Amino acid sequence: MSLFELFLWSFVVLALVATVLISLYGIAKRPNLVKKLIALTILGDTANLFVILFGYRLIYPVAPPVLAQWSESGVKELLRKAVDPLPQALVITAIVIGMAVNIFIAFLIIQAHRLYRSVDTREIAKYGGE
Amino acid sequence: MIHLVILAISVLIGLVFSYLAITERDLLKAVGFSAIQAVAYAIAFYLLMAPDIVLAYVAISVGIYSALLIFLIRKTGRYEV
Amino acid sequence: MKRTLPLLLILALVVVFAYLFATKGVISAPTELRPLGKFYLEKCMIGGDFAAGSPEAVTSILWDYRGLDTLFETSVFFLAIIGSLMLFSFKVKEVVREQELTLVVRSVTKIAAVMILAVSASIALHGHLTPGGGFQGGSALAVAPLLVLVAFSRKILETSGLSLKRAIVIRSLGLMGILLTALLPLTLGGYIMQNLPIFPKYIADQLTSGSLIFYNVFEYLAVGAGFTAVFLLISIPEKNFVEEEK
Repeated sequence: MSLFELFLWSFVVLALVATVLISLYGIAKRPNLVKKLIALTILGDTANLFVILFGYRLIYPVAPPVLAQWSESGVKELLRKAVDPLPQALVITAIVIGMAVNIFIAFLIIQAHRLYRSVDTREIAKYGGE
Repeated sequence: MIHLVILAISVLIGLVFSYLAITERDLLKAVGFSAIQAVAYAIAFYLLMAPDIVLAYVAISVGIYSALLIFLIRKTGRYEV
Repeated sequence: MKRTLPLLLILALVVVFAYLFATKGVISAPTELRPLGKFYLEKCMIGGDFAAGSPEAVTSILWDYRGLDTLFETSVFFLAIIGSLMLFSFKVKEVVREQELTLVVRSVTKIAAVMILAVSASIALHGHLTPGGGFQGGSALAVAPLLVLVAFSRKILETSGLSLKRAIVIRSLGLMGILLTALLPLTLGGYIMQNLPIFPKYIADQLTSGSLIFYNVFEYLAVGAGFTAVFLLISIPEKNFVEEEK
C-alpha cells in the first residue's frame, strides 16, 4: 500500500472522528433541543459510516456483496472482490429504525414546546422538572 | 486510487457541512447544511460498495428527515437563541 | 467570519495527524474478508443446507441468518411509531383551506409521486435479487405521500383514500404479516423464522427465495405506512388541535 493511499485512508478515518467530536459538542453545548436533534442525527450517520468503512476492503477490483453468476466459479469470483456484507445488514436496520426513534424524539420536542412554550433547555430548566 | 480520493473529498464535505450545521443559528439553514452533509455521505456509502444502504439513506435523510425537521421548526420557532 | 477560524483549525489538525499516522502506519485498511462475512458470501445462494436461497448476501443476512435481530428491530420501529401517535391523540378541528402551491409545482408533484411509487415497489419486490428490500422500498414509498402533502394539502390525500386510520391499518397489516410469516414454520414442524425447506425457493420458475419476498413485501408496507401516518399528524398546524374535554 503506497503512502498516498495510507494518507487518504487515515484522512477519512480522522475526518469522521472529527465529525463525531463536532456532533458531540452540538449535543452537549447547544441549548436548543432542535439543534440537539440535528447533531444527534449527524452523530448517528457518522457512526453508521464508520461501521461500513471497517467492512470495506481496500483492493482494486472491488464489488458489492451480490452474487452475479450462480455457480461455484461465481462464488470464487465474489470471494475475491466482494466487501463484507454483515456490517451493511446491521446498518440498514440502524438507519430506518434510527429514523423512527428520531421521529419519536421530534414528537417529544413538540410536546415540550406545548407544555413550556419553549425549546430552550435553559428555559425548560427554570421549571425545575415540573 | 481515484475512488479513494473521491471518498476523502466526500467525507471532507460531510465534515465541513456538519460543522456549519451545528454552528448555524438559523435552524432552517442548518437543515439545509445537514441535507448537503447527507448527500456527501450517500456518495461515500456508494463508493464503499453498499448500494443497499444508499437506497435507504437517500430517501431517509434527504427526504423524510428534512421534511420532519422543517415541520418541527414550523411548530417550535426558527431561530436558536 | 467568526466561524471559519475553528473550522480551518480542525481541518489543519486532521490533515497533519493523517500525515503523521500514514508515515507511522498507525491505521491500516483491511484487505481481507472476515471469516463470518466469508461464510455468508459463500453460503447465501449455493450452500446446501446453509443456503438462504438468495444471491443478495445483505438481504439473506437481514431476513434469514440474523432474522430474529431484524424482527426485534421491527418491534422497536412499531413502538416508536405507536409512541409518536399517542402523543398526538387530540381531536382535530378541520382546516379551512390551506394555501396551495403554483400549477408548475403541482403538475411536477403529480408525475413524481407516481414515479416514486413505481420505483419503491420495484426496489421492494426485487429485494432478494438485487440491492434493495423492504426497508429501502418502504422509506422510498413514504416520500410520495409526503410530496403530495407538501404540494397540495392534507385534505386531498384524505379524500383520495389515504386517511390516518387507513395508514395505521396498512401498517398493522404489514406487521401482522411479518409476525405470521415468522410463526408459520412452527405449525409446519420447523423452527421459528425458518426459511428454505418450509417455503418454496421457486414459485412458477421464478426465484422467490422462500420467505424473503414475503418479509420484504410486508416490511415495505409497514415502514411506508408507518412514516406516512406520522407525517399526516405532524403536518397539522398546532392551532388546529383541540384539547379533549375531560
